[in-house]
Amino acid sequence: MKRLRRLFLAPTAALLAVTMAAPLAIVCLYSLMTRGAYGGVEKPFTFENYTRFWDPIYAAILWRSCWIAAVATALCVVLAFPLALFIARSGSKKNLYLSLVILPFWTSFLIRTYAWMFLLRDTGLINTLLQALGVIHEPLPLLYNNGAVILGLVYGFLPFMVLPLYATLERMDPSLAEASADLGARPLQTLWRVTLPLCAPGVRAGSLLVFVPCLGTYLTSDLLGGSKTILIGNLVQNQFTTARDWPFGAAASLALMAVAMGLLLAARRQGEEML
Amino acid sequence: MSHVRRRLLPLYAVGAYAFLHVPLLILAVFSVNASKFTVWQGFSLRWYAALAQDRDLIEAAANSLIIAVVATVLATVFGTLAAYALWKRVSGWISGALYLSLATPEIVTGVSLLAFFQWAFRFLNLRLGMHTVILAHVGFSLAYVVVVVLARLRTFDPALEHAAMDLGATEFTAFRTVTIPYLAPAIAAAAMLAFTVSIDDYVITSLVAGVDSQTLPMAIYALARRGVSPMLNAVSTIIVIGLGALVLASERLRAR
Amino acid sequence: MRRRAFLIGAAGAAACSRRPRLNVYNWSDYVAPDTIANFESETGIEVRYGTYESNQEMLAKVMGGNSGWDIVFPSTEFIQPMLEMGLLAPLRSERLPNLNALEAPFRRPPWDPELRWSVTYMWGVTGIAYQSGLNPHPEAWRDLWDRRLAGKITMLDDPPEVLGACLKMLGYSLNSSHPAELEKAQREAIAQKHLVRAYLNAEARDQLVAGDVAAAQAWAVTAAQAMQAASGKLAFTFPRDGFARFADTMAILRESRRQEAAHRFIDYLLRPAVSARIVMAVQTATANGAAQALLPPELRGNPVLYPSEETLARGEWFEAQSAESQRLRDRLWTEIKSA
Repeated sequence: MKRLRRLFLAPTAALLAVTMAAPLAIVCLYSLMTRGAYGGVEKPFTFENYTRFWDPIYAAILWRSCWIAAVATALCVVLAFPLALFIARSGSKKNLYLSLVILPFWTSFLIRTYAWMFLLRDTGLINTLLQALGVIHEPLPLLYNNGAVILGLVYGFLPFMVLPLYATLERMDPSLAEASADLGARPLQTLWRVTLPLCAPGVRAGSLLVFVPCLGTYLTSDLLGGSKTILIGNLVQNQFTTARDWPFGAAASLALMAVAMGLLLAARRQGEEML
Repeated sequence: MSHVRRRLLPLYAVGAYAFLHVPLLILAVFSVNASKFTVWQGFSLRWYAALAQDRDLIEAAANSLIIAVVATVLATVFGTLAAYALWKRVSGWISGALYLSLATPEIVTGVSLLAFFQWAFRFLNLRLGMHTVILAHVGFSLAYVVVVVLARLRTFDPALEHAAMDLGATEFTAFRTVTIPYLAPAIAAAAMLAFTVSIDDYVITSLVAGVDSQTLPMAIYALARRGVSPMLNAVSTIIVIGLGALVLASERLRAR
Repeated sequence: MRRRAFLIGAAGAAACSRRPRLNVYNWSDYVAPDTIANFESETGIEVRYGTYESNQEMLAKVMGGNSGWDIVFPSTEFIQPMLEMGLLAPLRSERLPNLNALEAPFRRPPWDPELRWSVTYMWGVTGIAYQSGLNPHPEAWRDLWDRRLAGKITMLDDPPEVLGACLKMLGYSLNSSHPAELEKAQREAIAQKHLVRAYLNAEARDQLVAGDVAAAQAWAVTAAQAMQAASGKLAFTFPRDGFARFADTMAILRESRRQEAAHRFIDYLLRPAVSARIVMAVQTATANGAAQALLPPELRGNPVLYPSEETLARGEWFEAQSAESQRLRDRLWTEIKSA
């Protein structure tokens, strides 16, 4: 038993060592160094990158990122659940419907985002339509604000919520729901009391796959937010590119990862690990 | 009353699919737009013609597909095995590493991998190339696969495997004949996820790609930098139609 | 299997090659569709052409000294840093007969007076693009702080450019490293923020054409493209109080083992006919004087791409910043964005 298990874990362990552990060690190392004159890192070891983080400006950035990521994740759960339920119950057409969910995401993220920008612009499709129908007279500011960013995030991460939810819902025994109905529960009660708790692992898995990347997002907030609000993903991105302050970027990303890990650990239940 | 309720779910599904696919429609419409900008100026197939002649773009697309397929296969296989092993007995290190893999922002993964490769290659006389990209992709896809498969494993009754072993099967045979079929939907979902993540990755890929390994997202970002070109829309439309056709075809085959 | 094939192929290619090769790493959209192909058929050298989106991206790749690239196109303010990091190979002018094609000011540019390390390729300027219906026309950077245009202004998403515009508006140098001056500039930028629709680079083009944006800080190239699409509805101005000038150059990496072929490629790009073709395809401003003569009049006479000498005199070149100055600027930019 042990040998099989070791064998199964071996390739993953090796891959993680190379692609995760070693680079992570480098990131930790970088966070303690000083920035090179033109990028890269230099010798003097210092804690300065971490002390710099105490500036309230960065706390505000972190808070804003958490809040946006949380809202996006919550919306994803609400929107993905009925869809995953539908797919799980659709019998023979399951794979087809599943593929249809994924299909849009095989095109480029950048182009899809540009398509949304086209839709949301002041002179974009939505505003033009609403004005033509007489619903509004002035174009609504749909773009370049937090709402647009959240929309972009939900759109971009929906399949990451649908897939795990589907994976758990698919095997749920329908007789359980039937039994609940037989016992006199109304459909909504069944949903709340029986179905939802049973697919909790899926919800947790999906939330993990959505929340954390949302926390580190930068492209969506850049494009749909007009690059006006800096989230922690933007901060990190900026440090590794324009600002050329790799050590501070490393420290910022370690902070980000710490927050993500903290939340993951807090949300854990006994015996119900997500990983 | 229940009549309406029964229709609610499919109705919602239609709405959800519309939400997911409307941007695609926009892309398709503008891929046949004669004008370079987002103002409609008549029907034209010139962007598709330009696409057919752009050898670099085609090569980038081919690279992307190769990388995605290889990375997906590897990540799905390794990830499924790892999920099973983790389900049998928790491993703090591996779980922690997988959590971290998900928690790390892409730019950090990319830069740290680049630094690692640059340092390691001093001793190995290698360069960045397709192999480094594939390695990176498998690396970051693993966590997704494990999460999805493990979520499904949580709903699996280990008694089924024990029953098989009681009947004389080895552990591996039990795994192969009992567990894997049960996991099939999750494995399929995980593979799709891994493929999606790989084919659209820009940040990590652009940093660890070598001289010979331009991928489609890199080519797309390059085109988009000076303003959106409808050639990108044409690329996307082709991908969607091509893959969509593939999906429909495989459905037909399965239904047989 | 393919992976192993690639590994073996890569190792093999590194060891020996059947056809001479050259690896060129350039900005995206910076050559004409047939430029590379013509070079390949003329010289028999196979060119592997890659693109990048920012100097930092290129620098991160080549910093290790074993990236595999032969030629890169750094912006002028990156030449000094790359030199200090020992990344560049000296150029042999005897191998570049077409050097004379360069316009006089670019033959002895301030960042590399003897053209020992770089050859100027293309240049550009930053100004204000606006809807021609605006009354009064924007003429100086201060006009982008106009309250009447609230929500319809965009600035470039580029710290040196935004800080530069603020510095110029206050009468300081673009490349100022005085903390007091920089902080004043930052305060201006923060004051402007609530009027700004978004910080956009090339994306502003579509929005200008569509009419969503009234006035934008824009590169001349972007503005020229937008003006071409919107025929007559848009205009461009070089701000009265000064503006930024920038240029991209060609350089050979020290790690390159194909110096000879690299020189041939640079010389090829210096050919007036080749350079002219590139300009016509990309619509940018070339440093190649002889090529300018070959351009069609509507391109050569385009005041946005090729402004007059007296206009250019108001412009100031970007220069490399010292480490502390860069650090201060980055911190100020982060604060602007977080405001």
